[in-house]
Amino acid sequence: MEQKFFDLLKEAIEIEDHDVNMEDQFREYPEWSSLAYLSIIAMLDEEYDVQIEEAEFKKLRTVGDLYNAIQK
Amino acid sequence: MEKQFNPFSLNDKNIVISGAASGIGRQCAITCSKMGAKLILLDLNEAGLKETLQLVENGSEHFSAVINLTDYNKVEEIISFAVEKMGRISGLLNCAGISTTLPLKNAKPETLDKFFQINVYTAYFLTQTVCKMGNFSKEGGSIVFFSSAAGQYGESGKSIYGMTKGALYSCAKSLACELSRKNIRVNSISPGVIVTPINQNLPHIADPELRKQTEALHLLGLGNPEDIANACVYLLSDASRWVTGSNLVVDGGYTTR
Ligand SMILES: NC(=O)c1ccc[n+]([C@@H]2O[C@H](COP(=O)([O-])OP(=O)(O)OC[C@H]3O[C@@H](n4cnc5c(N)ncnc54)[C@H](O)[C@@H]3O)[C@@H](O)[C@H]2O)c1
Repeated sequence: MEQKFFDLLKEAIEIEDHDVNMEDQFREYPEWSSLAYLSIIAMLDEEYDVQIEEAEFKKLRTVGDLYNAIQK
Repeated sequence: MEKQFNPFSLNDKNIVISGAASGIGRQCAITCSKMGAKLILLDLNEAGLKETLQLVENGSEHFSAVINLTDYNKVEEIISFAVEKMGRISGLLNCAGISTTLPLKNAKPETLDKFFQINVYTAYFLTQTVCKMGNFSKEGGSIVFFSSAAGQYGESGKSIYGMTKGALYSCAKSLACELSRKNIRVNSISPGVIVTPINQNLPHIADPELRKQTEALHLLGLGNPEDIANACVYLLSDASRWVTGSNLVVDGGYTTR
């Protein structure tokens, strides 16, 4: 479950060269961009049926925050 | 001896060419192979693809697959397989396409569906697959969409074909913005008329009188597949490293007047 989420997240942000961890601040990844944000929103919706408003998304900081969002 | 200066070299580049079994795509395959590229050739015409493989240089080094590009799952499979075998991709020529001359009153929704599927969707989704994480070279590279003079200029009976080619023209612009981050350049090319199987039975080529008119519209006469293949070499090579989001017109002066 966790690993699958990491893989999907890496694909959404297009991270090829490093691992992702729960405590990472995802906006600080060198691959981060406004399109990565859109890809994550789409991924959460398609894979986990989770819809997050932009205002809400702004509050999420870490990979762990994203992971918690799909537990609901 | 020092290596000869050649800004157009395609050495060490894996290039995907769709529509490689015929016409311009075939010539692109031949020319790119001569420039040192390793090729991944896609087309649904098996016999034509075989023939292309006999015409390219170092035939055994290349990869080819018979595929209908509308079979998107198979496209993914084949591209993954090719990348595993040959390494990552540095270039893509979206050359596959079909044409028609059809008056407004004869068009049906199904006609548009078919043309958009084959000319627009297949190029778009092949591009999506080639750009998928792990498939494209980390150094970046070049993608070319085949638009047409008919994508920006009018001709009776060319509304459907022209719409699809206009779509590819605009597609290249936005993808150029989106993919620049990965150093992937995206351009379109707009050929004038070149006699190939795509148009040899259409009125503007098949009817001798109309063909004369078509020829007269091209200041330098009709073109050859080589004229387009050479332009593609430029767009694929590092010689065009500062060129993205542009449309290269190669039409013998057709759209000048
Ligand atoms: N010839 C011209 O005058 C001219 C002018 C402007 C633009 N173009 C464009 O250049 C490109 C190449 O044209 P051409 O003249 O070489 O045509 P062509 O008919 O000789 O070659 C097109 C190739 O695409 C392949 N193809 C078509 N649908 C396919 C599918 N669904 N899956 C896989 N392969 C498929 C065909 O089998 C064929 O081998 C086309 O996109 C065309 O619109 C051509």
